[in-house]
Amino acid sequence: MIPALEATGVRFGYDKTNAIFADWSAEFFAGETVAVTAPSGRGKSTLLYLLGLMLKPSAGHIWVDGVSASGMGDARRAAVRAHEFGFVFQDAALDPTRTVLDNVLETALYRGQSRSVAKLRAIELMEQFGVNLRAAAKPGEVSGGQAQRIALCRAMLNDPKILLADEPTGNLDPESSQVVVSALSAQARAGAAVIVVTHDPAVVAQCDRRLEL
Amino acid sequence: MKGGARWWAVLREALATARSQPIASSVAVLLVAGMCATILLTTGRTVGAEQSVLGSIDAAGTRSIVVRAEPDAGLTSDVLQRLAMIDGIEWAGAFSIASDASNVSIPGGAPVPLRLAWGSSFEEIGIGPGRSDDSAWAAPETLEILGVRENVGGVVTPEGASYSVGNASPSPAFIDFLEPLIIVPQEASAVGQVSVLIVIAERPDLVEPVADAVVSVLSVGDPAKVKLTTSEGLADLRALVAGTLGDFSRDLVLVVFAVTAVLVAGIFYALVMMRRKDFGRRRALGASRGLIVAMLLVQVVASSIAGSVIGSSVAAAALVYSDDPLPGPDFFVAVAALAVLVTIVAALPPAILAANRDPLKELRVP
Repeated sequence: MIPALEATGVRFGYDKTNAIFADWSAEFFAGETVAVTAPSGRGKSTLLYLLGLMLKPSAGHIWVDGVSASGMGDARRAAVRAHEFGFVFQDAALDPTRTVLDNVLETALYRGQSRSVAKLRAIELMEQFGVNLRAAAKPGEVSGGQAQRIALCRAMLNDPKILLADEPTGNLDPESSQVVVSALSAQARAGAAVIVVTHDPAVVAQCDRRLEL
Repeated sequence: MKGGARWWAVLREALATARSQPIASSVAVLLVAGMCATILLTTGRTVGAEQSVLGSIDAAGTRSIVVRAEPDAGLTSDVLQRLAMIDGIEWAGAFSIASDASNVSIPGGAPVPLRLAWGSSFEEIGIGPGRSDDSAWAAPETLEILGVRENVGGVVTPEGASYSVGNASPSPAFIDFLEPLIIVPQEASAVGQVSVLIVIAERPDLVEPVADAVVSVLSVGDPAKVKLTTSEGLADLRALVAGTLGDFSRDLVLVVFAVTAVLVAGIFYALVMMRRKDFGRRRALGASRGLIVAMLLVQVVASSIAGSVIGSSVAAAALVYSDDPLPGPDFFVAVAALAVLVTIVAALPPAILAANRDPLKELRVP
C-alpha cells in the first residue's frame, strides 16, 4: 500500500551546521490519524511545513501518493497544496478583513475551482460545523471555538487527501477541542491521512498512532 | 494536477481585498490621483500653453513657402504636378495674376483682386465641393467689400469675364497676404500662368529642404524673375519654444514620477508588512508566489486606474475653472498610462517580497 504521504531521508536545518532533521523518514497512510509530539523547540511545526511542501528539505524527499513532490518547483508545490492538502493552524489564521464565507472559500481560488460550485460545499460544511449563521460575519465577531471550526471548513473544502493540523486545539476550551478532534477523526475515516502536531494528551489519546520526535 | 487560479477569480479576489482594506486602498488612490493632478496642473498647464503658443506660431505660417513670379517669368500651373512628386509637402496651390473684379450688380463698385487658382485640394483654402467652371469664391469679409448680400451674387472683370460668387470659409493664415481675394478654382488640366505659388511643408523642420526642392522644379526661363520666401525664422522660433518648454516639462514629469514611485513603493511595502501573516496563510493554503504577485499587482493597477481618473478629472476641472489652456487628450492618456506603469514598477519589489514571506515564520503562534 502506497502511503498518502511519506518522508524519506529528509534533512533540514535553518542553517547549514544545525540540522533539525537528519535522515528522517516516516509514512502516513490514508484513513489514519497520527499525533506528532515532541518537546517545545524540537521542530514539530517545521516538520508540518516540510510535509506540507512549504519548506524544501536539503536532502531526501517528501512523497505525495508515491510522487516526489518536494523537488517540484514552487508553482507545482503550491498546486499540490491547493488540491491535495488541508491545513488547520493553531490560531485559525483567518483573514480578519473578509467575511467568514470568504474565508472558507479562499482555497477554491488557488485550485481554480468555480466559486459558485465551492460555495455549495462551503455552506454544507458550515452547517455541519454549526457556523452557517455567521457566514456574513467577520472573524473578529466570532469566538475562538467558532473561528477554529471555520478554519476546519476551509481545510475540508477540497476534501483533502492529507490534512495537516498545527496545534489545532491549542487555544480552545475542552468542548471546542472535542469538536475539532472529532472532525479530524471523521476526515480520516472518510479516507484522509490526518497528521496533528499537538502537545495535548487528550488529542493524542484519540489519534490512531503517535509519532514522537 | 488541474490548473491554478482563473484570471477573473484573481481579479475578483484582488478587488475584494482592495475593498476590504479601505484605508490602504484610499491612500494609494489618493497618491496616484495627486501624482496625475500635480503633473497635469504643472506640466500639463505648460504643455497646454506650449500647444497654444505653437498653434499661434503655426497660424502665422511656420510651414509655408511662397514663390512670387513676375508675369513673364514663365511659371505655369503644371508645376503642381512636379511638386506632387516631392515628399514632405502637405499642400500646394498656385494663383494667377490678379485682375480686378467688382460686383456685377453695383456699377463702379469696389474692385477686389480675382485670381484663377490651381491646387491639390481646395478644401484647404476654405472652398467646399460643388463648384463649377464659372464659380468664384470669396471669404465673408471680401463679400462684404464687394457688397454681395446673403452670400450670393456675381462679379465681373474688366475683360468681361463674369462669375457667380459664393461664400468660402474664412481663409487660412497662409493666404492672408493675398486677401482680399476672389478665387476661381481651375481644373488641373487647364494650365495657366502663375503669379503666386504657395507650398505648405508637412513639418516646420522640412521647410528648408522642401524650399530647395521647390526651386529645383519651378522650371522657369529666368530664375531672377521669381522670388522665394520661407517662414524659416518662424520655424526656428517654433523649434526653440517647443525645445525649451519640452525640456522643462520632461524634467518636471520625471521628478514627480520619481517622488511618487518612491511613495507608492513605501506604501505598498508598509502594506505588505502589515499583511505578512495574510500572505503567509495564502502561501500555506496553496497560493503560488506568482499568484501572490499577480493579486498585489492587480490591486495596484485598480488603485492606480481609479487614482488616474480622479486626478485627471480634478486637474481638468481646475484648468477649465482657472481658464488655463488644457493639454490635448493624448497628454491626459499618456499621464494616466505612465501613472499606472510607475505604480506597477514601484509595487513590484514589495509584491515579490510578499510572495517570498516564509509561511512558517508568519503563522507561528508564540
